[in-house]
Amino acid sequence: MAEVFEITDEVKAQFGVETAPWVYEVTTTSVRMYARGIGSTDPIHYDVDFAKSQGFRSIVAPLGYVGTPAFSPETNDATFGFPRRQGGARLNLPMKGLLDGGTETEYFDYICAGDTLVETSHLADVKVKGNMVFVTNESVFKNQATGQVVAKQRLTSIHLG
Amino acid sequence: MAEQTYYEDVKEGQELPEIKIAPDKQQLVKFAAGSGDFNPLHFDEKFPMLKAMGIPDNITHGRFKYAQVGRAVFAFAGYKGRVKRFGVSYRGMDFINQTITVKGVVTAKRQEGGENIVELDVWTENDEGKKTTPGTAVVALPSRG
Repeated sequence: MAEVFEITDEVKAQFGVETAPWVYEVTTTSVRMYARGIGSTDPIHYDVDFAKSQGFRSIVAPLGYVGTPAFSPETNDATFGFPRRQGGARLNLPMKGLLDGGTETEYFDYICAGDTLVETSHLADVKVKGNMVFVTNESVFKNQATGQVVAKQRLTSIHLG
Repeated sequence: MAEQTYYEDVKEGQELPEIKIAPDKQQLVKFAAGSGDFNPLHFDEKFPMLKAMGIPDNITHGRFKYAQVGRAVFAFAGYKGRVKRFGVSYRGMDFINQTITVKGVVTAKRQEGGENIVELDVWTENDEGKKTTPGTAVVALPSRG
C-alpha cells in the first residue's frame, strides 16, 4: 500500500530551510492579555513595579506565550493569527484533517514586556505513521537588541491522509 | 505568587501543587484574544466542522492546556528559578466546561554545570483520570546556600 506521504529527496532538501524573519513586539498589553487568557492571577504577569522588584526587566510573559504572533491584517492569517511568510519548506501534505500534535520550548532567558524578538522557522522533522504525517517545525527566537537566542520552540502538527 | 522552591528541599517523587481549571466559553474566548487563535472550533458550538468531525462540543485549545502546564512549571520554579525546557504532546481532547487538572512529579535531581537541575513529569488529566496532555520539564532551582 502506498504511503499517504513519501519522504522524497525533494522533501529532505527542505529540512533546515529558514523562513524570512518575523518580528514580535512583546508589549505589556499582550503579556497581560495572554495571562488573562490562561486564567493566571500571578502579579509577575501584570504589575510592572512588582516584576521589577523581583529582579525582572518588566512583567514576565507566561511560558506558553512564546510564539503568540504580532498581528497585521496584511500578513497574518485572519483566523489563526500566524504570519504568512516568505521562504521555508513547501510540502504537499495530505489535508483530510489537521491536529495539533505537541509543543516543546527550550528557554534560554525569560521573555519580558519591552523585548523585541526576531523569529525564524524551519522544517525539523517529518515522520509517516499509517495515514498520519507528523510534521515538526522549529522556531528560533532571538532578542533583537542583543542577538541572543532566548527560546527555541518545536511545534508538531499531524496531517491526516 | 507561589512560595520559592529550593533545590535542597526537593525530593524525587515529590508532587507539584495541582492546578484545576474548567474553562467556560468566556475563558476560551479570552484565550483566543490573548493567543491570536480564533479558530471557531474552540468557542462556537454551531461551527459546522464540529458536527462533520463527530465532535460533541467545543474543544479546549491544545495551547491552552500547554499554558496550564506552564503555569504549574513556572510556579514550581519560582521567581528565582529558571525553566529551561518544557514540552507536551496532545494525546486526547478536552472540552469546554470540563475540568482540567494539571499535575506533576519530580523524576530526578542533579547538579550539573553549576546548576541545580530538577526534572519533572507533567500532564493534564481529565475527570476520568486520563492523561490528555503528557509532558516533561527541566528547571534550574536556587540553592538555600
